[in-house]
Formats: sequence, structure tokens, C-alpha cells
Amino acid sequence: MAVTVATPWVSRATRARHIRKAVLVYAGLTFYAVLAGLPIYWMVITTFKPDRDLYNLQNFPLWFNQNGVTLDHLALLFNKTGFNTWLKNTVWVALGVVAVTLAVSVPAGYALARLRFRGAESLTIGIFLTYLVPTTLLFLPLVKVISFLGLFDRLQSLILAYPTFTIPFCTWLMAGFFKTIPIEIEEAAMVDGCSRVGAIPRVVLPLSLAGILTVAIFAFTLSMQDFVYALTFVSSSDQKVVTIGVVTELIRGDVFFWGSLMAGALIAGIPVAILYSFFLDYFVRGITGGAVK
Amino acid sequence: MAPAILYIGALVGYPFFLAIYLSMSNADVSTSGLGRFVGVDNFLALFESSVFFTALRNTLMFTAASAVLKALLGTTLAFLLAENLRGTRIFRFLIVLPWTVPIALSAIAWKWMFDTQYSIINWLLHAAHILKPFEMPNWLGEPTLAIMSIIAVNVWRGFPFSAIILLAGMTAVPQEIVDAATVDGAGPVTRFRKVIVPMIAPILFVGSLYDLVFTLTDMTVVYLLTLGGPANSTHVLSSYAFLVGVQSGALGRGAAIAILLFPILLVVVFFVLRSLRRRDI
Repeated sequence: MAVTVATPWVSRATRARHIRKAVLVYAGLTFYAVLAGLPIYWMVITTFKPDRDLYNLQNFPLWFNQNGVTLDHLALLFNKTGFNTWLKNTVWVALGVVAVTLAVSVPAGYALARLRFRGAESLTIGIFLTYLVPTTLLFLPLVKVISFLGLFDRLQSLILAYPTFTIPFCTWLMAGFFKTIPIEIEEAAMVDGCSRVGAIPRVVLPLSLAGILTVAIFAFTLSMQDFVYALTFVSSSDQKVVTIGVVTELIRGDVFFWGSLMAGALIAGIPVAILYSFFLDYFVRGITGGAVK
Repeated sequence: MAPAILYIGALVGYPFFLAIYLSMSNADVSTSGLGRFVGVDNFLALFESSVFFTALRNTLMFTAASAVLKALLGTTLAFLLAENLRGTRIFRFLIVLPWTVPIALSAIAWKWMFDTQYSIINWLLHAAHILKPFEMPNWLGEPTLAIMSIIAVNVWRGFPFSAIILLAGMTAVPQEIVDAATVDGAGPVTRFRKVIVPMIAPILFVGSLYDLVFTLTDMTVVYLLTLGGPANSTHVLSSYAFLVGVQSGALGRGAAIAILLFPILLVVVFFVLRSLRRRDI
């Protein structure tokens, strides 16, 4: 804004300084945007560029060349691989994870935010800390748990495993949301003849819809970020989710189907990226929330 | 409340103790049951393996280097975004892409960018005349370069997060306090170190803790870029645990590797906590 608010009584020197600063800031931001965006841009170009042009070292790689644009890589992806199945599996896993997460996190978050019992504070922090127990520590023992339950190489194993990180984080987020709803509103409902149990669906839940939606989105995007569990628990092609399918099935021995690989990564990655960045502020607030009391 | 504790207990707490048990057993993937108790044999065997020490060294180096680079890039970026000039939102969307795209998918894009023949990175370096013509670094095929590439991808993925966390903290600092420090003669660097950082220390703490934990234990980048190669030179503890525990099927031995991450994790948490507490006072 510094540039646009330059008013007549600001001296020419100050104005020049503002402009110089703005130029520097934009230059810096552009550098970062290129750094961040280049791999994504390269994915887009690879997706639509014909193999003849892709594997021709004489060509200018950053744009399309003599043979133009192709949809062959997409066709291969959709027609010759399990991509459709993986997409469908991903949706099922996501819905399952969201359902489990909501069923557990919403009541738990409410309890942590409202019920005054000894150790509620440390319990909240404890639950958040379990989010930091890394998947690397858990995936090997979970192999045993999952094969004991007979879910090895089944989609259901992921629906069971992903809530180990979505529940702690989402419970923590929900507790934060519930704390922002003034308790007086509930008390007013109770004065008007609601029980506490009655007040929750009538008053509290409608007010925290935004929070619940956020939590659902996070349960989905956090599951999409996983690689280790999906790689460990599932090996049959027809049970794979899209992230794992794309990076394992489009490589045959030493041959990489780069065009289709990038196409699959793009189709799976971009919607997640858009959703995630839409809710990024909530994520940050969730991570830092407990820190700013 | 109760269901959350039950679920976490059953699927985090129980596996955690199971991991400790497995690390002292000869359990494998294919047979059911938990194997036979073998005491510290798994650990003794690890301490005799050179790959283990390479992985340990890589893990520590990888985490430290990534943390420093992410802090540098993230801090600079946070200041640029804090200027809040017109168009910042679009820049922000682009810049957080590395963090929001699932890491497995962007890691595979990087593998393509590091390709031995068609590397776009080599092309750019040639175009900028940084590399001589016909000089073709094999980014993932040569141990030192491969480690650097792995660190680069990790930094690329993590710097937006560092920036966003720092930015969230900076916007929480009241402008009057910053102005007051300016009036008292504090320059930008002093303001940042003596005013802003102490005030947002708790946020920085949680943010860096989160980031360190996930960097320390990440195996996705290594697995997809190099699979630990060439000749096992780029393994980190987590990818090595996967190789031994799942691909070779020696679940017990793998669990022993993974469990060794835990003390490292505790040490890291301890130091982050201590350094920030000291600032806090």
C-alpha cells in the first residue's frame, strides 16, 4: 500500500524511497514465486507436451515446440492405468477418514473446551502432542495391528490409520473453535429450558459449522499428504489411493512415463493444493493456537 | 472425549509400545505373531552396520541443513509478505504451493527435474552459463549431489511453512510496540531480534518443533528421489527403517531403527524448548 497512498505533501525523496522499496519487495516476491512455482509449471508443460518434443534436447523446454500440445498422456493415464480406480479409492478413503475424524473430534473438542475437569489443559496439550508422534515410529507396529485385523492390502487399513494423525490435530482445532463460542449463549439456551445435551445440537453446532467444515477439509488434505502408510499397507493396484498409484504404477522397471506421471500428479495435487491454501490460515492458527493463550 | 482417548490409545499409544517390543524381537512381516524376544540383538547388529551410521549421519545433517536454510528463506519471505503490497494474495498462493501439494507428488516432479538426460535444472544452469556446455551433473546418482538434492527438495517444500508461521506471529505483534522501539532508536535488525522474536517466541517454538519433527522423520523425499542409493549412501533413518522393516521384511530390526529416532526427537525438543525459554525471560 505504501506506493498508492503517497500523497502530495510527501516529499519527492520519500516517494522515490517508497517506490524503490516496492520494486525490491516485488522482485523478492517474484523470486520466491518462481522458486516455488517452477516444479509445478514443469509438471504442466510435461503433461501436455508430446513425447517427441519432450525427449528432444534441441527443443526449448520451457514452452511447447513444433508438435504442439497433446492429450495423449492424459488418455494413457485414464484409459491404460488404474487412475480412475485410484481416484475412486481416494474419495472413499477420504470420506471414511472425515467421518471417523468428525465423529471423534467434535465431541472430544467440545469436552476439552467446555468441561472443567482437573488436567483438562494438559490433556489438550497431550492430545496435540500425539499429533507429533511421527508416522515413521508407528508404521511398523501398525503393520502387525492391521494384519491382525485382516485389513492388510485393503483400503480400510488407511481409513483406520489416517485418523491417528487427523484426530489429534482436528480435536485440537475443534477445541479452539468451541472456545470462541461464548458460553453465555449456551447458558441462555439452558435458561430457556434446554438441557446441556439439548443445547449442543440447537445452539453450539450451528455456530461452529465453519469449524466443522474446516476440520473436515483438513482431515481430507492431511490424509492426502500421507505417503508412508499408503506405501506400507497397500500393494495391490486396485486398492491404491491416487498419490501412491501415480508414483508407483507409472514406473515400469527403468521406464518412467513422465508425461502421464506429471498428468496424474497434477490432477491429484492441484485440487488438494487449492483447498489447503484456502484453509491455510486455520491450519497455522491450529498449529500456533495453543501458543498464543 | 472418551472415544478420542480410546482411539488415540489404541492406534497411537499401543503401537508405540508395540514398537518398543518389536525392536527387541525377531518379528517379520510375513509370519503372524510378534516373533521371539531377542533382547538388544537388533541394536547390536545395527551398531555393526555401516549403512546405519551413514543413515544416522545423513538424518542429522539433513535435518540441521534443512532447518537453517528454511529459517533463512522463510524469514526473508515473511518480511516480504508482511509489506502487504498489492497482489500479495496471489503471490502467497503461488509461494505456498510447495507446502500444499502432496509431497509424494511434488517429489516425483523433482525426480523428473533431476533426470540424468532431460534435467530442466541442467538446462537452466546451462542457459545461465553456470554450467559449461556438456557438463551434466548426475544429481541423484552421485552421493554428495544426491544428499544436496534431497535437502533442496525438503527446503523447497518447507520454506513456505516457516514463512507463514513467522508471518502469523509478526502480525500478532501490536504495531505500537514496534513503533515505540523505532522511536527509541532500534534499527530493523534490533527490532526483529529484541522485540518481535521474543514476543512471538511461543509461536516460533511450536512452528519449529512441528517442522523439525516432520523433517527428522520424513522418508518420502528420500524414498522417491533415490531409494537410499547410490549404494545406500543417502538413506535417512526412516527410509532405512522402511527398507529393512518392510521391503526386507525384518520388522523387528526395522522397528529398532525407527525407535532410535525417538531419543533424537527428545533431544531436539529439549534444545528447542531451552533456547526459546531463554529468550522468553
